[in-house]
Amino acid sequence: MIIFSKVNKWYGEYQALVDVNAEVKKGEVVVVCGPSGSGKSTLIRTVNRLEDIQGGQILYNGHDVYGVDSNLNTLRSRVGFVFQNFNLFPHMSVLDNITLAPTKLKGLNASYVKTKALELLDMVGMSHKANAYPNQLSGGQQQRVAIARALAMEPPAMLFDEPTSALDPEMVGEVLSVMKSLAKEGMTMMCVTHEMNFAREVADKVWFMDAGRILEVAEPETFFQNPTHPRAQSFISDIRA
Amino acid sequence: MLLNVIDILSQYWELFLIGQYPHGPLGGLVNTLILASLALIIAFPLSVLLAVARTSPYGIFRHPVTVWVYVMRGIPLIMIIFWTYFLVPSLIGRNISGFTTMLCTLVLYQSAYLCEIVRGGLQSLPAGQTEASRALGLGYFRTMVFILLPQALYNSIPSLISQFISIIKETSLGYIINAQEMTFAANQVNNQLLVKPFEVYFILAVTYYLLCFGLTQLAQWFERRIDTKRQGDALIAT
Ligand SMILES: Nc1ncnc2c1ncn2[C@@H]1O[C@H](COP(=O)(O)OP(=O)(O)OP(=O)(O)O)[C@@H](O)[C@H]1O
Ligand SMILES: [Mg+2]
Repeated sequence: MIIFSKVNKWYGEYQALVDVNAEVKKGEVVVVCGPSGSGKSTLIRTVNRLEDIQGGQILYNGHDVYGVDSNLNTLRSRVGFVFQNFNLFPHMSVLDNITLAPTKLKGLNASYVKTKALELLDMVGMSHKANAYPNQLSGGQQQRVAIARALAMEPPAMLFDEPTSALDPEMVGEVLSVMKSLAKEGMTMMCVTHEMNFAREVADKVWFMDAGRILEVAEPETFFQNPTHPRAQSFISDIRA
Repeated sequence: MLLNVIDILSQYWELFLIGQYPHGPLGGLVNTLILASLALIIAFPLSVLLAVARTSPYGIFRHPVTVWVYVMRGIPLIMIIFWTYFLVPSLIGRNISGFTTMLCTLVLYQSAYLCEIVRGGLQSLPAGQTEASRALGLGYFRTMVFILLPQALYNSIPSLISQFISIIKETSLGYIINAQEMTFAANQVNNQLLVKPFEVYFILAVTYYLLCFGLTQLAQWFERRIDTKRQGDALIAT
């Protein structure tokens, strides 16, 4: 579904991604972890070209993301992306946040889009807030709406960049449980997260990154019990501490 | 003194308010307001286009507008009034009224200032708004129209009102090219009375002051509203 081959990225002089080769298969849940500044956000943002790459290739659902013929907006509309800071549109109601892209991009009939949006809100447990504005919601609620918004374009895969890091601890669970139910339905997911319990329960693979490289790809049990790379070992003992 | 003021007002209030209308051209306070409002109404949409160009990733759009803004903001309004006054008639081959001259001048001049206000509004929005919109697949213009401009313009309302206050005060410069407005009317009154300039211009000053004070209050009211709303936004989404 998502294939990185020899991906290299520089911010000026600084190389943020170094020869990244990896694959997220259809229906797989991949958790990307690693120390701060290791390039996790950079990597996940290259998939929908929020960041450009300078070398290598990324295939998303069979399309060359950086190919000359790929239409950027069409591509992006097929990738669900959830941000750390939710980034809901504060001047629109919850419902309008969700219906915006499908109405404008697919030109679908308004009442059909609205019905679909209410179904999605129901799925994330937010249908009672359909007419509320983002600033009337808690962080956890905003993030659940943001997930529904990303799902509204029916993307084949969802990307999450630290979706729970900006949340108060008591709200982390409600967002993770939405993500878990998505995973159960077979959604292909790539999640940057520090929630190791989520990784253990839901992930098919854990990618460990450091200094712009993927140093280890393993199943969660193996990764947490017997990490092979010394950097991964120290990372795990750090998060245990 | 105060009696004189009341006396002048009771005798000439019509001239202050509407100029020589209906026996002559409309003028006075009403025309000041019409002139200022028209200037804002025409300059504002223009300035939104300019601001979009000024924040554009494309140099062809950005550079000319940047030059325009710097030039307009770097020269005194009165120079532009003179240029419009002498240049436009020679360009179009016929005379234009003081009112039209002043209106054109204010639109040109204010388009630059309003452009900077709108640009400020656009650039003070969190980058996450653009990212979220682009990530959904909305293109540059849709992001501008549906996401950025509505928020930027709303947040700019207080500055736009302040700018309207400036426009009102700037209309008084129309006096030098015989544009019918309140200062022109006050001068007519003064020419008829001859001996009470202080009282006449006192009335003029108080009228401008009250008008602008009222608008300042309105701007502050909006500012408070927007602040409260922002705090609500910032409470959770930082
Ligand atoms: N726009 C940028 N310009 C220059 N350097 C950047 C930019 N964005 C990120 N970097 C650098 O690239 C490296 C990787 O950043 P990235 O945000 O991908 O890390 P991360 O693994 O997501 O970290 P965190 O856990 O803190 O979110 C960091 O060293 C960062 O300083
Ligand atoms: Mg990050």
